Amino acid sequence: MREIRLDLLLLSLALLFAPAFSDLLLSKVDRRIDLTSHVVRITSTLKVENAGTDPVSEVLLAFPDTQAKNIAYLTASTIEGKGKTKSSSVSLPIQVVHPDGMPPSLTWHSVSLLKGLSKGESLTLDVLAVFTHTLRPFPEKITQAEIQRVAFQESAYYLSPYVVKVQSLTVKHSGQFESYTKLENSRASGSEIKYGPYENLPSFSFSPIVIHLVNNQPFAVAQELVREIEISHWGNVQVTEHYNLIHGGAHITGEFSRLDYQARPHVRGASAFRNLVAKLPPRAHSIYYRDEIGNISTSNLWGDSTKKLLEIEPRYPMFGGWRTSFTIGYGLPLQDFLFQSRGIRFLNITFGCPINEVVIENLIVKVVLPEGSRDISVSVPFAVKQWEETKISHLDMVGRPVVVLEKTNVVPEHNQHFQVNYKFNNLSLLREPLMLISGFFLLFVACVIYVHSDLTISKSSTAYLAKLQWDEVQATVQQVLNIINRCLTIHGKLEASLRDLSRTGDVQACKSARKSADSSLKELSKELRPVLILLQSSSQAVQILPKVEELVAKERELQEKLMLKHSTVVDCYEKKSGGREVENRVASIQQKITALRQEVDDLLEIIDEI
Amino acid sequence: MAQSVKPISSPVPDAWYPTLAVFMLAIGLVVTASFFIYEATSSRRHRSLAKELITGAVASVFLGFGSLFLLLASGVYV
Repeated sequence: MREIRLDLLLLSLALLFAPAFSDLLLSKVDRRIDLTSHVVRITSTLKVENAGTDPVSEVLLAFPDTQAKNIAYLTASTIEGKGKTKSSSVSLPIQVVHPDGMPPSLTWHSVSLLKGLSKGESLTLDVLAVFTHTLRPFPEKITQAEIQRVAFQESAYYLSPYVVKVQSLTVKHSGQFESYTKLENSRASGSEIKYGPYENLPSFSFSPIVIHLVNNQPFAVAQELVREIEISHWGNVQVTEHYNLIHGGAHITGEFSRLDYQARPHVRGASAFRNLVAKLPPRAHSIYYRDEIGNISTSNLWGDSTKKLLEIEPRYPMFGGWRTSFTIGYGLPLQDFLFQSRGIRFLNITFGCPINEVVIENLIVKVVLPEGSRDISVSVPFAVKQWEETKISHLDMVGRPVVVLEKTNVVPEHNQHFQVNYKFNNLSLLREPLMLISGFFLLFVACVIYVHSDLTISKSSTAYLAKLQWDEVQATVQQVLNIINRCLTIHGKLEASLRDLSRTGDVQACKSARKSADSSLKELSKELRPVLILLQSSSQAVQILPKVEELVAKERELQEKLMLKHSTVVDCYEKKSGGREVENRVASIQQKITALRQEVDDLLEIIDEI
Repeated sequence: MAQSVKPISSPVPDAWYPTLAVFMLAIGLVVTASFFIYEATSSRRHRSLAKELITGAVASVFLGFGSLFLLLASGVYV
């Protein structure tokens, strides 16, 4: 505590010797400091007036160096239009400057006004500054049962290079405080501490105040957060977030008793936080929460049409100084985040982390684009470090282009949309299936090659030669069987033509069927002859040859009988004989045909088995 | 600019992925089976290389797309 005050004393001494600056004056300054969480937000409303003669185009904002190094986010906006025609606020560009002749240990930011402020004109500026690591735990070490107290230091007067006419300061806190620096016109009421109004203070007025208050809010600080956003044009944006989280508040000292904590968590663990809530987009799906060990089952998910809330509970309550690391992941529908405009595709997604009030010391956002993306560019509303790398993932050949964005000291205010623009040919979508297809095709080709190749080492051995000959015999027998089977099919056709005849009495059709059957049977017997000769010449075929010859003979006999039956029946029809007579004449032939057919079938079976 | 911006969605609706996976894999496996039956039963002299390759190509197209949709349906967005 003494150290803090010494710092402030030195600063205020330095400020005493600073020169007055510029013709601007601040006719009214209203500051509101929000200390309800561990992120400090200072909202200042400045009414700037030009008291000089020359137009002014920039307004300087001063921060002590001790504060400036913790600034995470700074915006200035002004409201366009006057009186009743107030339109939306316009944010103004801000940059760090180093003006000459200014006291040391101050950091300057210059707000550029859109149009210069000429003599006598005034303008209202809204400045939002967000600080991290500004609430110092005091005491720095507490036991499990103690509540957490923090100290906050500021100046009761607005530190500015300009004269301030009227100013006031309101500090909002969670309701309980230990002490605050009492000045004239300072009072505490409810969850607010007020300083001011103070009037007509010269430039660089400074009056240090320290507020010592109770703050049991989760001091969740992600030392590192890696967000990986992977786009698949097959319909998904996969977000994976790797957290490395620490409780950034007062360190716990002494033992931790799980029993005490379980029994009365709000008393024996007031400074700890048990869970965190992440606000995910409404159509997030396939949500998971895990760490190195595996799935963490203590999570809850609920939501409505505007958002999905994921409540995650680390494996243990988080006390000061304790750390945990975990991963959450979820899929998002592509059409909500990926758009196309004039041939350029762009991803439009939020930058920061979805968990409430988490300060991220080092945020790395990786956007993994599909393979084949080109002409990549990024537009982020604030300064980030940026580079590109490649990532090899499922079914990749050259790797996917990855845009990496890195930013330190990220607060929830950075949760803004950013865009990644790239070009992509839809044909590149076919890369993955083509890869799978070629993989399978190679497998089939390998099978074909294996089956076609002859892996025998000794090509002259008798066994090998015998096998070759036997293969040949088998192939020839197969041919014979094929031909016989075709003959049998033709027989079937003839029988069918006879049945047609008995039904329709169309003799001509029956005759033509007979003619075509005759010619094809003749061809088949021609085909059969060389094959049989080949079989007879082979020494390996000795065993099977008699059966084959028998088969051929039986088939021929069958063929003859069938022809006889056919011509008999046709004859009868031509002579217009009665049905009874036809039956009588055919009956004996039919008997033989059935017997022969049976024999042929038996022989076919036997040969097949050999 | 606002008019020319349009959202991009996948070429095949997500809801079809499981069905497509089942059917394409089924067809692919049947063709694969016929390929292997042909390989195993036809004798060396009467095998036609073109027929083998065509059957293999058809089977691999179906198996390739089938396994892609299987991956997509199971949440592995390639």
